[in-house]
Amino acid sequence: MPFVNWLKRHLVVIAGLLTLAYLLLPNVIVTVFSFNQPKGRFNYEWQRFSTDAWQDPCGVAGMCGSLSLSLQIALWATVGATILGTMIAFALVRYRFRARGAVSSLIFLPMAMPEVVMAASLLTLFLNMGAQLGFWTVLIAHIMFCLSFVVTAVKARVMSMDPRLEEAARDLYAGPVQTFLRVTLPIAAPGIAAGALLSFALSFDDFIITNFNAGSTVTFPMFVWGSAQRGTPVQINVIGTAMFLVAVLLVLVSMVVGNRRNKQKA
Amino acid sequence: MKTTPDNSGDVRLSGISKTYGSFTAVHPLDLTVPEGSFFALLGASGCGKTTTLRMIAGLEEPTTGTVRLGDQDVTHLPPYKRPVNTVFQSYALFPHLDIFENVAFGLRRRGIKSVKKQVEEMLELVQLGEQARKKPHQLSGGQQQRVAVARALINHPKVLLLDEPLGALDLKLRRQMQLELKRIQTEVGITFVHVTHDQEEAMTMADTVAVMNGGRVEQLGAPADLYENPRTTFVANFLGTSNLIEAEVDTKSGEDIVLKAGGGKLVLPEARCSAPATSGGKVLVGIRPEKISLTHADDAGSIPAGRNRLTGTIADASFIGVSTQYVIDSPVCDELSVYVQNVERDGRLVPGADVVLHWSPAHTFGLDAAQDIDAGTEEEVAA
Amino acid sequence: MSTLTEAPPPLSPTAPEKKPPRRRGRFTPYWLLLPGILWLVVFFALPMIYQASTSVQTGSLEEGYKVTWHFATYWDALSEYWPQFLRSVFYAAAATVLCLLLGYPLAYLIAFRAGRWRNLIMILVIAPFFTSFLIRTLAWKTILADNGVVVQTLGSLHVLDVTSWLGWTAGDRVLATPLAVVCGLTYNFLPFMILPLYTSLERIDGRLHEAAGDLYARPWTTFRKVTFPLSMPGVVSGTLLTFIPAAGDYVNAELLGSTDTRMIGNVIQTQFLRILDYPTAAALSFILMAAILAMVTLYIRRSGTEDLV
Repeated sequence: MPFVNWLKRHLVVIAGLLTLAYLLLPNVIVTVFSFNQPKGRFNYEWQRFSTDAWQDPCGVAGMCGSLSLSLQIALWATVGATILGTMIAFALVRYRFRARGAVSSLIFLPMAMPEVVMAASLLTLFLNMGAQLGFWTVLIAHIMFCLSFVVTAVKARVMSMDPRLEEAARDLYAGPVQTFLRVTLPIAAPGIAAGALLSFALSFDDFIITNFNAGSTVTFPMFVWGSAQRGTPVQINVIGTAMFLVAVLLVLVSMVVGNRRNKQKA
Repeated sequence: MKTTPDNSGDVRLSGISKTYGSFTAVHPLDLTVPEGSFFALLGASGCGKTTTLRMIAGLEEPTTGTVRLGDQDVTHLPPYKRPVNTVFQSYALFPHLDIFENVAFGLRRRGIKSVKKQVEEMLELVQLGEQARKKPHQLSGGQQQRVAVARALINHPKVLLLDEPLGALDLKLRRQMQLELKRIQTEVGITFVHVTHDQEEAMTMADTVAVMNGGRVEQLGAPADLYENPRTTFVANFLGTSNLIEAEVDTKSGEDIVLKAGGGKLVLPEARCSAPATSGGKVLVGIRPEKISLTHADDAGSIPAGRNRLTGTIADASFIGVSTQYVIDSPVCDELSVYVQNVERDGRLVPGADVVLHWSPAHTFGLDAAQDIDAGTEEEVAA
Repeated sequence: MSTLTEAPPPLSPTAPEKKPPRRRGRFTPYWLLLPGILWLVVFFALPMIYQASTSVQTGSLEEGYKVTWHFATYWDALSEYWPQFLRSVFYAAAATVLCLLLGYPLAYLIAFRAGRWRNLIMILVIAPFFTSFLIRTLAWKTILADNGVVVQTLGSLHVLDVTSWLGWTAGDRVLATPLAVVCGLTYNFLPFMILPLYTSLERIDGRLHEAAGDLYARPWTTFRKVTFPLSMPGVVSGTLLTFIPAAGDYVNAELLGSTDTRMIGNVIQTQFLRILDYPTAAALSFILMAAILAMVTLYIRRSGTEDLV
């Protein structure tokens, strides 16, 4: 029974590839339907091929505005969370201090909390303070939930770093500032970059917390949510496809460049 | 304390100690390392040798005492202000910099702009000129080790500290690098302070060895001195192997002490006894395995007079090429080790044979019997 | 008066040694922690307290709310919304199990069998993240459409008859049924299962497989006795990372479900943003938080991996 044997041996591979297909199927649909020309307000059924949406990606009122707002918020949330999170990560790894357990829990809890709980409670706070919901409340919320992820990413990197490297730098005439800039920071950089990237993705794609705390401000996910009720323009798929392609392309390019650099050096 | 102005490479530790909470890593310690010498701190892990080194480097602040380089008190100087450089355990090469930049690091931090010539010369010295643009992880262990040495030496430190620099290398490479380091030291003439747990390495390379145990220096001296005349059981067992036999002081005759062990008598030169020898008191008699000769009991008559003798039975014999190692059960002591060179092998010396062990009194040493007789043996160190 | 307690020791010429200058300040860690921790205290911890207080208030939007320790809100909320609570737990658990079943082979494939394709597959797992999850969830409306390929095939194979009998689907529809919601939840949180699984699988020394094989373990036994136990940290953090957000989610239930599949997240969202009944919403949210924290703590205890953080 060669076929059964073959199947047995490759069962894991087949199952894994099926899961991969499950993960990627929606992206395929999103891409295909970006070339659709739907009949009604909703873009759920295939009608006929058209590149109209690609030629006029900003042709829907408010969509590109919400996209640029989301990008801005994601950018600032990334900057804020990365700086604050990196500082905490260094404190956690490098220093002894009181209330360490409390600090660790405070970092862990936001990651273990359903978004809707954080969203609702933050809204209670803002309502109690009489804060004006909008850009700033969204930014505050995003920095809050991205912070823990940055701490985790940076902490992992800094913990795996040999403390002797910094001692070596100090031994080789580098003062505290020089040691930090020339040795600590460059070596921690991949962790910081990973944390920043994750922050950006989380912030850009966040819906639940934003939905509670944005007031009448519309980010891109909120625009998509609204359109699911009112009617989904094809341009949404255009944006989705473009983001997917840009992400894959960026990663591939960085991998190819990295490989070539390694080969040259070896 | 007298100071001579030209000895700026001297390292003087006076009364330095280090405690962490209730744990004392290093007990108050006085140590002078003369300029230009190759000095080894030898001991098992946790004996305080690395802490001592780190206090010299400035990476650890002593709890008490002072560290001086020549005339300069550097006790409270941070490491980056001390004219001292370190070759770290597992090297601590900067992974994000290439070999050239690793070596240039110290020069650049001191604001030296044109480093190219110096770095290239240094890399030539350690035979790594070709590898300048590689990253550390692309080099072999031995090459990384040489980069670490180059990175420290290029700064012309007054003292070079080496923290187990050869620990990560395999045996053959370690031998090679021992000679290499010794050569470099002779060439540059800088004071080297070398921390190691490998007694063979310490004895091969260093002019002076300080044996540390439990945060204290047990004994300090030239390698041959330490080996031939250990003053504590730890040194006797940690440096090579020693047979230690408990004996009672009988009489003193001239410069010798006569001891009773079992039924027989042993002679020990008083100068080689580090314990107070009062009549009736206990002393540990030590003898190195290779100093003992073995004679079959049938030939006992042929042994020259004036030698210390013990009788025993061979319990085990293992042939290891240049020599044969015997384990001998004797009434005074179980498991005496004897190494006999394979010059003329006596076919009768097999397990079960009765033998006489004999050696020159001049090779005997005496230790204080109040000590742990097993201190510094492999089992004890491992535990 | 600080002079009594903090007076410096008298300077005397016999003082044995000058105190060394501190290279690293004792307060450095606190300065490093301060901004970030303050942020979390004010915008994470404090809101929880506000929410707890809101949940025991009574009043109305017009007249304002007062703390009256009105715990009955909790009782009312529970007795009215327990089906949604139960449904949330059930859907989230189902999605978590599905994620584990689907994710494990893929994580295993990436860790041990992918060879030079490893990086590419990794990218394909992560890349969907970069397309808004709402857009991708909407795509499931197309995939599961009533006259789409999937539903037609399942219908003609009579699979839908079985699932309808189980109550997972309704008639010949998949959309607007529990199955669609669970399917969406599984899809959305699958990467959160795969990544930790992969991380812990990748750490396993490949030689352990060979050793197990050498010691007469068949592949399946090797997996059960060696691979799976060693991947437990990944399984634990993967299931947590899937279950927690799934239990609080309302997007999938809203987009792919119907009024019969409403989860507790939907209720909280509606109470808060549409009905504006803050005490009830706060109480529900508080119950959800407490329930999840309790479950997570119990789960971590049971699985014996407390060093997740």
